[in-house]
Amino acid sequence: MKILYSWLKDFIDVDLTPEELAKKLTDLGIEVASMQTTGADFEGVHVAQIIKIEDHPNSDHLHLVTLDKGSGVTQRVVCGAPNVAVGQKVPLAKVGARLGKIVLKPAVIRGVESEGMICSSDELGLTHTRAHGILVLDENLPLGTDVSTLYGKADTIFELEITSNRPDLLSHLGVARELGVLLNKPVKLPQIKDIPGQGLALPVEIQNQEGCGRYIGRIIRGVKNVQSPEWMKERLAAMGLNPKNALVDVTNYVMFELGNPLHAFDLREVEGGKVVVRNAQPGEKFTVLGGRELELTENCLLIADGKKATALAGIMGGANSGIQDDTQDIFIEAAYFNPPTINKTVKKFAISSDSSQRFERGSDIEGALLAMRRASDLFVQICGGTASEINDVYPQKFENKIVEFTPGEINAILGANIPEDKLKDIFARLAAKFDGSGPVWKFQAPTHRRDLNHKWDLAEEAARFAGYDNIPVSATRAHVVFADNPKGIDLGKMYASALIGAGFCECKNIDFIGEKELKLFGADERFCIRVKNALAQGWDYLRPTLLPSLIKNVESNLRFGSSDLKLFETSKTFQNIKGFPVENYTVAGVLTGNVEENKFFATPSRPVDFYWLKGLMQTVLCKADVTFAPSKTAPVYMHPKISMDILQGGKVIGVFGKLHPLTLKALGVKTSEVWAFEWATKQIEKNYSARDFKPAADVAVFPPSLRDLSVVLNADVTYAQITSALDKTPLDVELAYHLIDVYQGERLPQGKKSVTFSLAFSKKDGTLKDKEIDTAFARIVEQLKTQVGAELR
Amino acid sequence: MTILEFKSACETIAQEYKTKINAAQSAAEVEELRVAALGRKGALTDLLKGLKDFSIEDKKQAGPLGNALKAELTAALDEKAAFFAAKEINDELNKTNIDLTLPGYPVACGHKHPLSVAQDRMTTILARLGFEWAEGPWVEDEKHNFDLLNVPLHHPARDAQDTFFVDTKAPLVLRSHTSNVQSRYMEKHKPPLRIMAPGRVFRNDSLDATHSPVFHQIEGLYVDKNVSLADLKSDLTAFMKGLFGDKAEIRFRPSFFPFTEPSVEVDVKCVFCQGKGCNVCKQNGWIEMLGAGVVHPNVLKNCGIDPSEFSGYAFGMGVERLAMMMLNIKDIRAFYENDVRLLRQF
Repeated sequence: MKILYSWLKDFIDVDLTPEELAKKLTDLGIEVASMQTTGADFEGVHVAQIIKIEDHPNSDHLHLVTLDKGSGVTQRVVCGAPNVAVGQKVPLAKVGARLGKIVLKPAVIRGVESEGMICSSDELGLTHTRAHGILVLDENLPLGTDVSTLYGKADTIFELEITSNRPDLLSHLGVARELGVLLNKPVKLPQIKDIPGQGLALPVEIQNQEGCGRYIGRIIRGVKNVQSPEWMKERLAAMGLNPKNALVDVTNYVMFELGNPLHAFDLREVEGGKVVVRNAQPGEKFTVLGGRELELTENCLLIADGKKATALAGIMGGANSGIQDDTQDIFIEAAYFNPPTINKTVKKFAISSDSSQRFERGSDIEGALLAMRRASDLFVQICGGTASEINDVYPQKFENKIVEFTPGEINAILGANIPEDKLKDIFARLAAKFDGSGPVWKFQAPTHRRDLNHKWDLAEEAARFAGYDNIPVSATRAHVVFADNPKGIDLGKMYASALIGAGFCECKNIDFIGEKELKLFGADERFCIRVKNALAQGWDYLRPTLLPSLIKNVESNLRFGSSDLKLFETSKTFQNIKGFPVENYTVAGVLTGNVEENKFFATPSRPVDFYWLKGLMQTVLCKADVTFAPSKTAPVYMHPKISMDILQGGKVIGVFGKLHPLTLKALGVKTSEVWAFEWATKQIEKNYSARDFKPAADVAVFPPSLRDLSVVLNADVTYAQITSALDKTPLDVELAYHLIDVYQGERLPQGKKSVTFSLAFSKKDGTLKDKEIDTAFARIVEQLKTQVGAELR
Repeated sequence: MTILEFKSACETIAQEYKTKINAAQSAAEVEELRVAALGRKGALTDLLKGLKDFSIEDKKQAGPLGNALKAELTAALDEKAAFFAAKEINDELNKTNIDLTLPGYPVACGHKHPLSVAQDRMTTILARLGFEWAEGPWVEDEKHNFDLLNVPLHHPARDAQDTFFVDTKAPLVLRSHTSNVQSRYMEKHKPPLRIMAPGRVFRNDSLDATHSPVFHQIEGLYVDKNVSLADLKSDLTAFMKGLFGDKAEIRFRPSFFPFTEPSVEVDVKCVFCQGKGCNVCKQNGWIEMLGAGVVHPNVLKNCGIDPSEFSGYAFGMGVERLAMMMLNIKDIRAFYENDVRLLRQF
């Protein structure tokens, strides 16, 4: 909403500077988005004509310009503008002239005295274009004319951000009322000459009283559709409107002034001698001003005459009944339409106007009559004509409900201690009716403030007008209840810190992906959540997996020349199970290049491989009760043979391994060596508690006895098969082991491999005797021989 | 030999060997002196051999005297020997010559996302102020995202140009704020309650330098008996002090949100210029930080809490906004591009 300072002053006496006013408005919660100065804010600048231009003795680009100020008086100034030419009429500021806040002083420029300045339009504050060059004026202007008289008086346009609960502030009167309460100054309504009505207005029939709470109509016959007067044109231009003609301009002018939208019909086009406010027929077609045809539904409210619809109520007039240049008789409408009714139609057709913006937030139902009287007066003044009587159909007079409260309640909501006198003062100024005589106060808001319905609303008003600085800051006081974090949050943080410790960068990606990625990752779109109003193609679904985004991160980072990437993300993934959304906290990561970000000069670089990734998984997931198993069928986006499932309680909760080169190619990644992992934490959450403290096991007192074991067996026996046999060996002592070496090659027969373990035997209650170790060792050799065909090497 | 002669001999030996030990130039020299003084044929050993001819009376005097001298010389020799042993090791170490300025081995060092840096800081402070971490679904029904929060049916926030709608059996939206956690939590819990709800939210805004369809908020809610706007100001002041230091100051400006009444915008005094005006605060001295207010009685009522018995405050702040300011990141898109050249700075 734009407010012109001089227009505002019609309603209230304020002598604040524009900056001071902006501060007051901001403190009231009315945000001032911008301030623009208009008109001439300078003095002592007169029209002069250039009669001689000489070069400056000490400069290549400056000139000495001699001007005729009129009546034969000349003056010489130094000027650097590139566009000076003999014969031009230009604005000449004399020494002592005021340009905005600057007062011109005598100056010596490179050794030559300058007795003033030829001004550019920026220097006069008329533009902010930073264009070079002096302002060249109309050659017909008499010399010596005060240049400020060529422009309007200095004024300020405030661009205000009005919150949706305050439609009353969408007018100059509304802002004046707000300031009136704050500054304790009376608000002056416009002087309206009451026009005695001659003859009847059209009869009005309101069929939908919920949609239209009041309808005021009046005819003015014999108007001349002239140009609006200059003062009105200027004000409308300041509102950002192109003045058209008086009949249209007056309705807009009154709306910006008082806040009530008006509509003027050409009476020639109103048929059947009446006005009907009704809902549209389903499928009814209506063409609004500008030519757009709408197919209406029964929820749309229309203004009609005896035969046809003439306006989309509160939003836009019809193409069939608008004001023409030759319009002679008009019908003026001032009404109150129900906000939701207007809003639905606005939304449905994405059609909006200054008028609908006010109706859909809520206009002042009482103000409609004032607007009608104001408009009639202006019409008759400007366009002449004879006004009819006013037909005011107002079935149910609106009044705000009375709010009862105590001043103590107001202060309790605010936690403040605003004195009762001050509260009384504020409420009395604000209210239509206020009674603060008893312990319980009674407040009734004026009709333009439908937002004041209970004590909380009034607490806000008290705080606004008393100033929010009255809210004290004291010590924090709170009743604190302890509860654990959500498990998914805790686990996500735990995995994030483990991965960061392992050298990963945390990523955050936007949650949307497209069909192409879904296909690539084997996700059935029926099980994905589709966004109905997606912002862009390729952003149609919520991610069922975090990997596509991370792979794209790899792609862009490689493109920008980074390498050796280790990226991860913890976020939610989404599924659509039988029409219901399922959200899962998920951890995913991708790796490419070397384990270390920067190669160390003294050691060979170490590319990430499967075993490094597996080791990472073992470390990161060590506290979760998970196992790994080669994927029976690798997911389509993974290498068919290098893909391992992460299992918990027999359920697959994730996967890790190498990405399929075709997946990478499809996403434009310039390498085929990318590793990935992803798991959902839901199953792990079930067994997790921040308060679960696992009891510590005793640390063995006696050192173990170590033996190496090296066996030869068929190359196709897996490590898992060997350790499974090893684990099942019946032993009387405790055994721990770890793999030292796997060898396959020249020193062994074809198809054979050797596997070497370091075995650690121990007993809880003492040191082992050699004999005990020998027995255990022999049993292990026997077990491996019978179970996996291993021979001692 | 008389006792006097014995004493005098002791003194002579003491003097001679102390001087020699002091002047020794090597470990070998020390060992030679040890043999010369204390060895089988050493000077002191020789002298002590003479004790056997002394009377019992004289032995009582001379014995301890001789032993004391032996101990004294041993200690002096040991000390000198240790000195040469250490010197030998240090001489060896000092021959070392490696270039300490060569780069170190690249030990794994990962990086938290800047948004996590900001969010973790904020949640840590709120946790200290007693806020419990609560969460809610990201795919939400209109009831919890709008209705219970007193957002009227025809409010523009409910338009498709503001909110994302998804294709599920029941009509659902992607939550447009973390306030859905308020309604979810209040339905299930009775006051006193004090929660924070950090998380992702979604708005139908095209991605540009200052807008992202996905961003992060932190919601705060406190409901108990007699909670007022002053409690909000006090707690937020404490929060901002945690974030910006003890001098942090906030101010309220009136505003409007459907779920709070009174509603306020909270500004914090610019931490870069202490309110004097700079580029970060656009010469304003204050920086807009978050929206907040007293929980609207309708919201309490809608969630099954009696507004005549309880009251509360709520606030919601953008994590990106704070992170951009604190970390000098000028474009919101940088958070979602995941360029490691940026990520590796944190």
